[in-house]
Amino acid sequence: MSFKKFDQQTFIVDTANAYTNRQISKREFLRKMGLAGVGFSAFSLGMLGNPRGLRRGSMLGTEAFADGLPDNQAKWLKEVGSKFKGAKIRYSTESTPPSVVLNQIKKEFTDPTGIEVEVEIVPLEQVLAKATQDVQGQLGSYDLYYLDQSWISMFQPDCVDPVAYYKDKPELAMPDFDWDDFSKPLVKNVAQVEGQWMGIPFDIPIFTLMYRKDILEKHKIAVPTTYEDFLAAARQISEAEKGNGVFGTGLQAKSGHYSLECDWSQAVWGHGGSIFNKNKKFSGNDEQGIAGLKWYQELLKVSPPNSTASTWDGQFEMMHSGQVALVQSWDEFFPGLDADDSKVKGLWEPAKPLTAKKLRSPSDAGFNEQPNLGHQGGSCISLSKYSKNKEAAWIFMQWGCCKEIMTRCTLLGGFAPMRNSSFADPRVKAKAKVGPGTTRHLETVKWVIDNAMATEPHMALWAGLSTNEIPTELGKLLTGQAYGGDPQKCMDALAKDIDAKVKDAGLL
Amino acid sequence: MVSHHAQSLAVDVQVSSTTRRSVWPRFLTSEHPFPWLAPITALLLAFGVYPLLYALWLSFFKRNPITRMNVFNPTWNWGKLLADERVWGAIGHTYLYTITALLIELCLGLAIALLLDSDRKGYGSLRALMTLPLVVPPAVTGMMFLLMLDGSFGVLSMGLVSLGLWPPQYPILASSGSALAGILLADIWQWTPFMVLIMLAGLRALPKEPFEAAAIDGATPSQAFFRLTLPMLSRIIALAVLIRGVDLFRIYDYVKVMTDSGPGTATETLTSYAGTIYFKNADFPYASTISLFTLLLVIVTSSIFIKLFKVRF
Repeated sequence: MSFKKFDQQTFIVDTANAYTNRQISKREFLRKMGLAGVGFSAFSLGMLGNPRGLRRGSMLGTEAFADGLPDNQAKWLKEVGSKFKGAKIRYSTESTPPSVVLNQIKKEFTDPTGIEVEVEIVPLEQVLAKATQDVQGQLGSYDLYYLDQSWISMFQPDCVDPVAYYKDKPELAMPDFDWDDFSKPLVKNVAQVEGQWMGIPFDIPIFTLMYRKDILEKHKIAVPTTYEDFLAAARQISEAEKGNGVFGTGLQAKSGHYSLECDWSQAVWGHGGSIFNKNKKFSGNDEQGIAGLKWYQELLKVSPPNSTASTWDGQFEMMHSGQVALVQSWDEFFPGLDADDSKVKGLWEPAKPLTAKKLRSPSDAGFNEQPNLGHQGGSCISLSKYSKNKEAAWIFMQWGCCKEIMTRCTLLGGFAPMRNSSFADPRVKAKAKVGPGTTRHLETVKWVIDNAMATEPHMALWAGLSTNEIPTELGKLLTGQAYGGDPQKCMDALAKDIDAKVKDAGLL
Repeated sequence: MVSHHAQSLAVDVQVSSTTRRSVWPRFLTSEHPFPWLAPITALLLAFGVYPLLYALWLSFFKRNPITRMNVFNPTWNWGKLLADERVWGAIGHTYLYTITALLIELCLGLAIALLLDSDRKGYGSLRALMTLPLVVPPAVTGMMFLLMLDGSFGVLSMGLVSLGLWPPQYPILASSGSALAGILLADIWQWTPFMVLIMLAGLRALPKEPFEAAAIDGATPSQAFFRLTLPMLSRIIALAVLIRGVDLFRIYDYVKVMTDSGPGTATETLTSYAGTIYFKNADFPYASTISLFTLLLVIVTSSIFIKLFKVRF
């Protein structure tokens, strides 16, 4: 069918209005739009605040948009959810891809249920502050908590065990929710504390290696597999590409920011160290910890100078603009690197993270720390014990974490899902090619999750230590404000400070 | 004259005793100031005095991060504050920032005000243009300068580097030696117009006769400025410095947005440190103590200034 411009526009307007007025289905709407030559293509998540790595160019996939919940779940949503019509649930979250996408498609939940959902998307530290204030006064201002793995243990007394709640409230249980479908390592490291379920895994950024294949091929450099190889390759590239403004690597080394602590802890684990030892003393100042920090200091020399002012956003920007060639960092960057506005579309490749000579055993680390190759920064979504709309919030939580919606979130943004079925979904596999919202890195990500996931200590003080004390002192060292470039002095000062705080909290 | 006029107005308003009793509550027809001050007093109590007292009360508790309970321990936070090196560093940065910004904004503001103090055509528009930065929210200004000073892509940074005025290996906001200067740049851009406005108002209010007399006596423009303009403006200047100084002492937005107190603690001020302790460590009692300490410093410093420069309100 062909249209003249005017007729075509009229047709589009009429179709859109018909869909808005619910006179036609989504499938029919998309079919007609297709006839009119209108595709639903890229939308920029980078415009939505401050996500890890500005996931630009994610695709609003038409097939995903056209698919809905299975019939039994759609029926459950309408029948059970509408019992709570008029309830208003609130939660605050960091601007992570699943949060942003869920906020985008929440209408699909609010329309059939009549439950209002208010999502506050704020910076990470504000999420922590809001949740802390809420549990402090047991206010119930927020029905759901977004809990980053680094603070999850702080909230151990405040969350409803979702698996137990699912069994205890069969009348509210979503059919075929399939708890066993969640990736086991994610459940263990992101959603549980000491074996107790705290929430449902929701977001899993994890460290992988990413490299510019064109630059490596140009200089005949093999993809690095060890920390030593990585540094050597970064040095070689920096030297050779200096004239082109390309650096070997780029870091998220902003002082006083959690991103620097993430980089540092991975360097320490990769050199056989840990943040705490089995005696619950800070061990960043032992031989392995110092080796890791020295390696990181060397990396800084072959990174853009702005690395010390960059968080994950800045690091992504370095990759996205073609400024760096090798990075070991968050996998969530990857879909954005293949976006249409990327200067390096199709040039980055994913690989397994760097291997360590010898990893420290979790039994030799403290506070349930799991030293490994891939630093995870996952989060879970949890039901507040103090919620005044617990049932309505629970309905939303199940909807947001069910197979179809989680898969949809992955299709919309190209980031790692929490469920094994989403990894295996043919729609997800079909997007494993160069293009916006690519999923071609997910095979690597799944391997890291299943085999090499590293987890920070689980302790009540960790939120403060990981976002204030550790990255602030590291920042002083890396920018020359203190310690005269001596990593031992910096780590010894930190050890003294942290051990005193741990002791004062009664954790030693 | 004015009071007489007011009295006559009061007399002119005829309110019958019946109306007074049955229609209007008594305080609405009262001439006593208290009923009229009550709403604003209530607001001040609710949003000024109560938070202050609550912060003071909180400062006498020690927070247990495990149980999240605040345990009464009146000396804990104050002792911690006195032993905290970061507090003393933050005091230094706060004073350095306040004094530097004040001096630059005052000198620039006065110079620009002298230039704009004219009735010639176009100057009115220039004066209006000068006020534009004042209407931008500080957080937005901070974000603007953060982008302009970005070491990799910032237009200001790149401009300075390409002109050979700045070494590329030391990005302004990522180097402990220059980060505070970067924040100052944002503050000066935004708040110099405030000084300009106050100085202009002062200049325009000066009597013309002394200047005419000085001109007849053969005084040069610089003599007129130093012997007439500056002395006559001194009260206005002192007041502007006091208002702006108190404001600068509480700087938070630019630091939070542009450097988050970094690199290291190179730009950490008292308020940004309090914010860090509050938002990141969730140690509300200690954050309250730092805030109270900041208030004490502001009161002491401004009192000394008022005494020293005989500021009159």
